Amino acid sequence: MQPISGQAIYVVLLRELKRFWRAKARIIASIAQSFFFLLILGFGIGGLFGGALGGNYLTYIAPGIIAMSLLFASVFSGVSVIFDRQFGFFKEMLVAPVSRTSIITGKILGGAVTASIQGILILVVSTVLGAFFIDLRFALGIFGAIGVMLLITAGFVGLGVAIGSALTDFHAFQLITTFVMWPLFMLSGVFFPIDTAPLALQIAMLLDPLFYGVELLRFCLTGYITPLLGLLGPLITLGVLSGFSLAMIVLGTYLFSRAEA
Amino acid sequence: MNRISIIEVKELTKVFNGSLTAVDNISFTVEEGEIFGFLGPNGAGKTTTLNMLATLLRPTSGTATINGHDIHKDPDSVRRSIGFVFQDPTLDTELTGRENLDFHGRLYGLTKKERKERIEEILKVVQLTDRVDAFVKTYSGGMKRRLEIARGLLHYPKVLFLDEPTLGLDPQTRRAIWDYILKLNQEQNVTIILTTHYTEEADHLCNRIQIIDFGKIVALDTTENLKATLKGDVVGLTFKEPSDAKKMLPRLNQLEWVQSALPVSGTNNQVGMSQMMQIMQRMRGMAGGGGMDGMMPSMAGSGGSLPSMPKDPEKMTAVMKAMGEHGEQLMNFRQIQLLVDNASQRLPELVKIVDGSGVELESVQMHKPTLDDVFLSVTGRRIRDESGSMIQMFRRFRTMRQARGGTTPH
Repeated sequence: MQPISGQAIYVVLLRELKRFWRAKARIIASIAQSFFFLLILGFGIGGLFGGALGGNYLTYIAPGIIAMSLLFASVFSGVSVIFDRQFGFFKEMLVAPVSRTSIITGKILGGAVTASIQGILILVVSTVLGAFFIDLRFALGIFGAIGVMLLITAGFVGLGVAIGSALTDFHAFQLITTFVMWPLFMLSGVFFPIDTAPLALQIAMLLDPLFYGVELLRFCLTGYITPLLGLLGPLITLGVLSGFSLAMIVLGTYLFSRAEA
Repeated sequence: MNRISIIEVKELTKVFNGSLTAVDNISFTVEEGEIFGFLGPNGAGKTTTLNMLATLLRPTSGTATINGHDIHKDPDSVRRSIGFVFQDPTLDTELTGRENLDFHGRLYGLTKKERKERIEEILKVVQLTDRVDAFVKTYSGGMKRRLEIARGLLHYPKVLFLDEPTLGLDPQTRRAIWDYILKLNQEQNVTIILTTHYTEEADHLCNRIQIIDFGKIVALDTTENLKATLKGDVVGLTFKEPSDAKKMLPRLNQLEWVQSALPVSGTNNQVGMSQMMQIMQRMRGMAGGGGMDGMMPSMAGSGGSLPSMPKDPEKMTAVMKAMGEHGEQLMNFRQIQLLVDNASQRLPELVKIVDGSGVELESVQMHKPTLDDVFLSVTGRRIRDESGSMIQMFRRFRTMRQARGGTTPH
């Protein structure tokens, strides 16, 4: 087994960044989608509930909509190892004298960075729409939020790579979207707070790793976190999220390393 | 000439899923500077062999060294010593040609200065300098192939592997790629191993050719020697009815100036062929090694020990009968290929004999032996492009799937 090569990680990362930058239509589509969610749901449902959530509804859902774009962008980026395999670029990397660990490290870094850039763009859009109260706390919170975005995306790229390495057929990906990604998104506390949900739903939400990402992101951007997690909420969410991301990176790397060419 | 062997392969074997033997105990050496060809139909084991040599697949048994490095002990040095141009395109079409080359250079640890110089140099060889900054998705098939060949050579490999380098290209582009390959071999001093199922490609490019069928080497020699094994001329007789061909085969074989008469099967029934080989190997085993030898058209100096079509028509019929349905299909031939001494003088006599037997000929062809005929004589069938045969397609599909499923990480 070859050691980790910085140059190989850089190549894969650079490739991801170049491909991301050149696929402008995809970036625009992703921002537009989030924009509609924020605008229509934020103001539409917001009117229904009024100030029930201790502020306006747009403020409540904005961190979740950012997390949604992070989730989809990072899982898709990870799953793209299927396409690399299908369209062959994978082989070019596999026959090179570099380890698969280097290749996948670059892939996860690249996926995390590009997905986080999308997240930051949506953060900008929601700020413009007036989702956040701009003060010093928010200004500092942005840095925390960017860190959280990288943590969330690294984990979900890892999950995507794991799925992409295990699947040989990308038609099965439709099923993954429906049965994995949508539940992850819906249960993450984007649209409604956990504390008023029925118990069964609360348990399901607590099992959703993205829930902790959304809570932590919301804490960074608005200072609000669900009282259900208690005073240690920010630390608990950070702990669970870090554990999940680490596990997914390890799983993705492992499955990728033993996947067939 | 004192040449150094750059590749040494010893008893290499690959068995997929414990049952499908894709490569069966092959040994050979390749000398530095050679263009060495693997010729064989789809699913013969050519790509599997290359993948094992490139350390992408782990052999079931046996080993090989490339440029002095063992594929088991030092896969990294092996990878540095080789460039690989895959059968399926492996370029990133969303990147420019230069970016593809630059990434490759980085993966192989070339410095910035080395990359810049080498990219310019190699682009001149494949004549892509003016298009290198365009996106690869705008390239034609031939340009993509040239870029891939350039990329494979970027890190100064000692050996370049080309897996079906002209598959799917039009004849004109194919010619051009051939010229590049010859030029690279001479100017860049690189040994080239290529696989192909085009006999004319092997003939045009290769110094030495190894014919692979069902995972075994059935012939290995220089291109000239392979063709020289067939002394005389090749005459193809096509009959109106399969029954006529069957009837004529023993008679033609008895003529003293006919070296061999082989039926050319209309269907490329690979399942049948594989079954026939097994039966014949079994017969050979029972007879203590001597049983089948007399009936084989032997390949002098080829070292080919594999059974091919039995020469003795009666024994052949027995083999076919033993195979049932597949045998029937193989027996359903209308064409007989003869190797004849001095064919231009014998042709009138030949036609007279056929006429006298009361059967009707559809056509007669005559030519000097080509690699195609060599292939027919060692394997008992014609090498073909992907034909419409369902069985062949299925087999190829299965082999490919298993080939993928068997890859182990290195």
